[in-house]
Amino acid sequence: MRRDRRFFAGLVGVAAVVSYLIYTGISDTMVYYLTPAELLTRIEVSPETRDQGVKVSGMLVPGSYANSTDELLHTFVVEDPDDTSVRMAVEFRHPLPDTFDDSGEVEVEVVMQGRYRPDGVFEATEVLTKCGSRYEAMPEMPQQAGAGAGYGGLIG
Amino acid sequence: MIPALGEFALWIALPISIWGCVLAFLGGRWNRGDLVLSAERSTYAISILFIIASIGIIAAFMRDQFQYWYVYNYSSTNLHPFFKFAGLWAGQRGSLLFWGLNLSLFASLAVWMNRSRNRDLMPYMNGVLLAFIGFFISISLFVTPPFEQLGFTPADGRGLNPQLQNYWMTIHPPTMYVGFTSFNVPFAFAISALMVGRLDARWIQATRKWILTSWFFLTLAIIFGMRWAYEELGWGGFWFWDPVENASLLPWLVATAFLHSVMIQESRGMLKVWNMGLVLLTFLMTIFATFLTRSGLIESVHSFAQNLTIAWIFLGCMGITGAVCLVLIVWRYPVLVSERQFESALSRESAFLLNNLVLLGAAFAVIWGTMFPLLTEGLTGSKVAVGPPFFNQVNIPIGLILLALMGIGPVIAWRKASARNLKKNFLLPVAVLVSTAAVLFSAGVRHPYALLTFSIGAFVLTIIVVEFWKGTRARARIERENAFTAFVHLVRRNRRRWGGYIVHVGVVVMFMGFAGSAFNREVRQSMVPGDSVAVDSPFGHEYVLTYQGLSTTLVPSMRQAIALFSVEKDGVPAGSITTQRQLNLAVSPPQPISEVGIRSTFVEDLYLILATVDDEVLLGSNEPEFQQATFQFQINPLVPWIWYGGLVIAAGALIGLWPGAGVPTRTGRLGTGSRRQDTSTPTPRSDAAATLG
Repeated sequence: MRRDRRFFAGLVGVAAVVSYLIYTGISDTMVYYLTPAELLTRIEVSPETRDQGVKVSGMLVPGSYANSTDELLHTFVVEDPDDTSVRMAVEFRHPLPDTFDDSGEVEVEVVMQGRYRPDGVFEATEVLTKCGSRYEAMPEMPQQAGAGAGYGGLIG
Repeated sequence: MIPALGEFALWIALPISIWGCVLAFLGGRWNRGDLVLSAERSTYAISILFIIASIGIIAAFMRDQFQYWYVYNYSSTNLHPFFKFAGLWAGQRGSLLFWGLNLSLFASLAVWMNRSRNRDLMPYMNGVLLAFIGFFISISLFVTPPFEQLGFTPADGRGLNPQLQNYWMTIHPPTMYVGFTSFNVPFAFAISALMVGRLDARWIQATRKWILTSWFFLTLAIIFGMRWAYEELGWGGFWFWDPVENASLLPWLVATAFLHSVMIQESRGMLKVWNMGLVLLTFLMTIFATFLTRSGLIESVHSFAQNLTIAWIFLGCMGITGAVCLVLIVWRYPVLVSERQFESALSRESAFLLNNLVLLGAAFAVIWGTMFPLLTEGLTGSKVAVGPPFFNQVNIPIGLILLALMGIGPVIAWRKASARNLKKNFLLPVAVLVSTAAVLFSAGVRHPYALLTFSIGAFVLTIIVVEFWKGTRARARIERENAFTAFVHLVRRNRRRWGGYIVHVGVVVMFMGFAGSAFNREVRQSMVPGDSVAVDSPFGHEYVLTYQGLSTTLVPSMRQAIALFSVEKDGVPAGSITTQRQLNLAVSPPQPISEVGIRSTFVEDLYLILATVDDEVLLGSNEPEFQQATFQFQINPLVPWIWYGGLVIAAGALIGLWPGAGVPTRTGRLGTGSRRQDTSTPTPRSDAAATLG
């Protein structure tokens, strides 16, 4: 069974290398994924976590978006999905994804990676938007305008 | 009328698939040719019914029949006909029907190609395929019905997501579905071989080309997807390690492992269980990928269809299929024993085996990284995120090992490499490796992974070029041909081997393209017309871009703000480049779309994004006071090499796939073929190495 032993030695060797890479990869790069409220609570409880990078997911507050054409800087406010009284201002200095829409006509969930600054602003280094009704996540039944009326009054 | 006919066709297809599936298995068991034939005709019939059903969907889209839920949600009257046609795969409901269509067509093709071959395997193979076809018909009838009606007719549809209104939408998804669905055929061959117990080289032969075909389409689809994501803002560049992207990579990694290890079985009669396992695993990975991308359990920027019912159905399907595979393998284990044993760690077998283990290791790392957040949340309740940094940290070293093996594998000797063999084949390539590293280092390249990628890449390219050169020279001498003719004949005589080498060249070029991102340059700037910005490329070029101004136009259902730049490269005028921000008015609310500007040269892309404009501009104002805007300028070095590499890979795979007697085979093990390889003295070089082929 010499062959089997060789084969398994190779298998174990590669498995060990891959496991090591995965283990160090996770411990080096993993970040916590929090809502704004969770982030603020965490910093309050253990202030030393303030400088750790985190991923935060919040709902975009309609009308809160502003930009300047003097420099590439986007500012907006997100609120906690569960507790809308918790809000967090965000700064972002890269181009935004196209689905970013603060008109309020669609609910936009913003997923940001970055750091919470001492001045209370979240400095995002990466912004992704998830915009439910835009994609097929939530296709909808059209509302019928008036009972029995099959046509008209429908917004696409 | 036509859609109704399509739905009717689907209803007829269901009983036929059940009927055919039962007949196929019974016919195989009782050895009844008439039943087997009837089952095969069922497969043909179902393909035709699927074609009718698909025409039904397309017709509903083309005629704006918004009374259908699916058409209402994915189309609108003003949608371009191209995208109406693409409606067939634009959403979950259509794409699962499209899956079934592809599957039935491939099943018919497989049945037809084997109408007078592999007759002992065919009943079971057809039976397995019909079972999966029945599965997809049932989904389209009962879970995600594409023909469901609203009961009234809305005036207009909701439109297609503007991000999907891109020409790649008509190319990338169908290629991906072709790649995914065609893996079902080799899987069915493997299962039938296990059931019949005929586990000699024949099923491998019948399967190999199918897998290579599926692999070819999957590779193309992945590259198309990379290109699309590169052009689309907010998708994170050509590769973001997004779950949807990872899902397509998994079957690719396992299939690539199979394409290599199958050669060991063919020439050495080893690793039979392993190869069987890889074929089955490749198919399971396609189901797993479908589960991943359609469940919504895992977050993705591509956020496709999300439907938990579908997720559970596919998970169940994967569980049952996996269990059946396992039982069959354990049952047939005694027949799958190797004919030979490994003799040395320094041999081609070992290099191939290592390649396999590393590819599977990469697949495992990708699964782990993708599922880790879900597992952590399930086990500890705290949510964590694992992103591109993780995948890069794990997969770049793995990729470099694979790259090195790509050079070592083809030239190290079978069984046991002698010191002479090693010295003869590796002296020059290693010298090239070292000198490439030295030259790059003295040119100021300090990035360790980039240095390794380029020098190992140069090592691999040297080995391949030497192989081509030796083969051509030997052939030119023996057959008295000129170099060009000898080269063409050489490749033609063993397409699989030389095609494989060309694929390797493409992979090396592509890896160098990936490594280029270590040298990206990025400048962000607010500008008014007349302003200039200078961007230096790592290749020493200087681009000066001068902002000429914004102009707005209103095309039907779209408002465009186009920023124009004139480009000077190294002080010489080099044309102009535009970047746009559009407002798609066909959807409600109107959605902005960025059109990045890309100016490609052989070694680098100038990549330009219009980041912010004044809202007035998108409302149609051309006033000078609103001309100020912010831009991001990027130099993406070597990105074009990714696409060139992709072209080379496709060309190499096509050479390997080209029909005809392109593969000399070994006597006995594969049935026909020449006997010359069994002598250990290397006769003409092109033949001696043909065993690898």
